[in-house]
Amino acid sequence: VRCQHYPPLRALQASAVLRRVSDEHKKEPLTSSSQQHFDSHPAGHQPEQEPQGPHPSYTGQGGQESEDYESEEQLQHRILTAALEFVPEHGWTAEAIAEGAKTLGLSVAAAGMFHSDGSELVLHFVSECNTKLSELLEKEQKLVQLGEAEKKPIDEFLRDAVEARLRMLIPYIEKWPQALSVLLLPRNIPSSLNLLTSMIDDICHYAGDQSTDFNWYTRRAVLTGIYNTTELVMMQDSSPDFEDTWRFLENRVADAMNMSNTASQVQSTGEAVVQGLMGAAVTVSNAETSRAVR
Amino acid sequence: LPAGGASLRLCSTRVALEDINKPVIDRIIRVDHAGEYGANRIYAGQMAVLGRSSVGPIIQQMWNQEKDHLKKFNELMVAYRVRPTVLLPFWNVAGFVLGAGSALLGKKGAMACTVAVEESISDHYNNQIRTLMEEDPEKYKELLQVIKQFRDDEREHHDIGLEHDAEAAPAYSILKTAIQLGCKAAIFLSERI
Repeated sequence: VRCQHYPPLRALQASAVLRRVSDEHKKEPLTSSSQQHFDSHPAGHQPEQEPQGPHPSYTGQGGQESEDYESEEQLQHRILTAALEFVPEHGWTAEAIAEGAKTLGLSVAAAGMFHSDGSELVLHFVSECNTKLSELLEKEQKLVQLGEAEKKPIDEFLRDAVEARLRMLIPYIEKWPQALSVLLLPRNIPSSLNLLTSMIDDICHYAGDQSTDFNWYTRRAVLTGIYNTTELVMMQDSSPDFEDTWRFLENRVADAMNMSNTASQVQSTGEAVVQGLMGAAVTVSNAETSRAVR
Repeated sequence: LPAGGASLRLCSTRVALEDINKPVIDRIIRVDHAGEYGANRIYAGQMAVLGRSSVGPIIQQMWNQEKDHLKKFNELMVAYRVRPTVLLPFWNVAGFVLGAGSALLGKKGAMACTVAVEESISDHYNNQIRTLMEEDPEKYKELLQVIKQFRDDEREHHDIGLEHDAEAAPAYSILKTAIQLGCKAAIFLSERI
């Protein structure tokens, strides 16, 4: 997993600032949450931890780290995850992030760490969904390898994988159009394109694609088209449990299978025609030569 | 994303294969695959013109070895989940045209093309071996073994080309320089695209 890691000092400063600010605004919740934190440790550690109490952790880079140490990235991750439950109400916005920060006992100013248009929240959600999909596909593959499950035919596999991934949007489906518009912001396009292509590559890989020629691109392009169109259909679907969407998906996957069958048929027909013509040319030239000899 | 701001860099979902340096290995396998694919097409072009001549069997033998190389890189590409270069259809045509074109200059022309291409390829493999040795010889032991073996094979092809009077080909030095320039460009592009 390619993640960028920030220097610990800046991370500590950031989390220290947040804790100090939240200290000023909400002393009690923080104390109680720290108590809970310490309570979960084995009794032997208690005497050492208590003197430190709910003070911000100003530890040097090489010094001892307190139990509360986490990188800035981990903190942002936690805030965004907590913010997701407020998305159906507030949308993909800084308000949702602020609410999420509040549930973690942090100040609403924590939302200032992020852009005001909710970009990071959407990208975080998509990244999490993709990770969940990867894990699901990996588990399924292990079951097939152990012989505990049947290997699915390709069209069924693709259908199930895309459906599983799209179902993750259901809790947020009302606000998903907004998320899509955020993903299409020029600033976010590199990240969102990266997430989309790696998700499609994952599905193709687990579907058993082993192409090493231009088919690698053709197959992924076709699957991307199927995924994107199905996603758009899903947003306008009001049928029970989105059954219209899954039917649309089934038809598109069937189309793709037909297309690839037709393409290979055209190719073999073309090759046969060429061979036939070559044979005819050779026969004619032989006939000419033998006539000339006579 | 600004380096100074507290912005979140989103991770891709690709599972890291052990803990290899994915970008470096990606490039190496992609460009080597493209190279073997191109070499295949060059020999195919040469065989199309000189298949029935006296050098036909030798070219066929070298071609067979290139086919084995390509097969190996196909396997590595799937194992490391590397994307093939977008330019494959282009190398398909360009390789065949180069092979056929050099063969139309005669047997020595074909051999000159072989010498030029194989020299480029063995230099390129040597660079990759150096890179991998600098990274971590233990971690990339299998890949290093493959590349070293292939480098030796290409070197052998280069020597066969010289044995068959490549240097007596028409406009040998110009031909060689032009082909090697083309190879450098192909390598540069295939690594990235």
